[in-house]
Amino acid sequence: MTRALLHNFSGRTAIVLHRSEEVGQRIRARCDRLGICTVVCLGDLDSSLAATADMLILDIDTADDGMLPWPRGEAPMPVIGLIGSESPGRLAWALDQETDAYLPLSSLGNLFSALVIGHEIYARKSDRRTHEAETARRKKGRLDVIRAVLLLMGEGRDEALALKKLRTMAMVAQLPLEDAARLLLEAHPTARDASG
Amino acid sequence: MSLRLGLIFSTTGSYAALGQSALAGALGAIETLQAAGGSNITPVIADPRGDMAEYDRLTRSLLDDGVRHILGAITSSSRKEMIPLLERRGGLLWYPCPYEGFESNGHVVYLGAAPNHHVVPVTDWIAEQGMERAYLVGSNYVWGWETLRLARDCLQSHGIEIVGERYVPLGSTSHEHVLDELCAQDVDCVVDSLIGPSNTSFLHGLAARDPARVGRPGHVASFNQTEADLGDLGAAANGLISAGSLFEEDAGDALKEAAKRHAPNGRVSSFLATSYAAVEIIAEALERAGSEDPRAVFEAASSASVTTAMGSVSIDPVLRHAELRPCLSLAENGRFRVVERMERAVPADPYLAARNADRRRRKTVLRVIN
Repeated sequence: MTRALLHNFSGRTAIVLHRSEEVGQRIRARCDRLGICTVVCLGDLDSSLAATADMLILDIDTADDGMLPWPRGEAPMPVIGLIGSESPGRLAWALDQETDAYLPLSSLGNLFSALVIGHEIYARKSDRRTHEAETARRKKGRLDVIRAVLLLMGEGRDEALALKKLRTMAMVAQLPLEDAARLLLEAHPTARDASG
Repeated sequence: MSLRLGLIFSTTGSYAALGQSALAGALGAIETLQAAGGSNITPVIADPRGDMAEYDRLTRSLLDDGVRHILGAITSSSRKEMIPLLERRGGLLWYPCPYEGFESNGHVVYLGAAPNHHVVPVTDWIAEQGMERAYLVGSNYVWGWETLRLARDCLQSHGIEIVGERYVPLGSTSHEHVLDELCAQDVDCVVDSLIGPSNTSFLHGLAARDPARVGRPGHVASFNQTEADLGDLGAAANGLISAGSLFEEDAGDALKEAAKRHAPNGRVSSFLATSYAAVEIIAEALERAGSEDPRAVFEAASSASVTTAMGSVSIDPVLRHAELRPCLSLAENGRFRVVERMERAVPADPYLAARNADRRRRKTVLRVIN
């Protein structure tokens, strides 16, 4: 499925985390033209302020984990990293934070591009995380699939026919195979115990 | 103060008419300023002939020669070709043409219409006429791609069906496949982002294939058609609706005189008017700054509005675009008749951040005047 690129940020709120008020004001002026409400934060970002924001624009030269109210790499919003010194250590920190887009401080005129890219990368990252979580959840249900197949084999089918039956049940209920297996086992509580 | 001002306009080549019109405006303003004893601006004229490599070569040459301010470029492709050189060598481009938006470079001043000055009002007007089906055709480069992308968004938001969308190579004059497709459908409005000879041949072809549509108001819509090459279109343009920051009927004596003295077709267009105003802005900013340093001149230009032959012009110091007072005009027998105009100057919104809000407000600031 394709998703239309987000390129209108009007009505959104950005936090600019930068120790320089002058840089913060320059970014605020650009954000204002894009319809973005901006809060310039000169110190640590607390969770209550973060909860009001849709995106974070931060100085990767000076930011550290302690300034952010979330575990490393788990920002709940797109993060745009402002590049100043290009020191490898700071770039490494920004990469570990899974910063979604980068903008050299000398190129604030390209803020719009960074926002479009950052929001798209964040959306793809979120999709991937959701997919990975779902895959992990379903992997946990594999044993239930085996138990459900064994249960259905008890009705005189071989394993291929039992699996086909389970697939049909899942398709009719519009459920993943693992969830259909779990529901079947819940309807036959002894099957789970019997299969060990 | 004196200044050597580069004027890089293609006055030959496929879009020569636009370059000639813009150059005429610049030369007219320089002449007027000199006659008034104001800033002494010496034009350094270069003609890239519509050839992209020539834009690079000539820009490089001017910058090497110590020129720091350039008025010019017509197409977005040429502007984008010049920008890296301007960035590396500290030059400033004063760009006088309507363009597709989504740019704000620190070495450019955008004086022409942005998409909220052309795409949005034209597509709003199309919707107000009750049109239901549109066909989009454009030249295959950034102006065509982006203006038609915006037009599609705007028209669809009005519930107008897009029945076709085609791009033709730059300079192509063969449009049979497009006309076949277009004429096989019931199309209320053709949104035309073709440029140069492609535009001329397409409109003549459309008029020949479907003469009944010619003259119907808004049967073709353009975001940049001006008087610079309207004469080439003849009666085929009748009924074409276009947006612009100035049409000839609003031109004052200064612009008419510049057109008479310098434009090969003697016509005032928004290209001519904007280039004329650009020179006036540069001259005023030069005096304010007391220096030709591009950064200082831009800061001076954007610090307060400048009175020009187009009226008072303000430049946003952040996005570097001019506030304009766009009009909508219908082509009638080689002339444009203004049918709507903004009551006041509208800040450029090159990223269309406020498009929805503008649309809601627009009813109160536009008036039908004839």
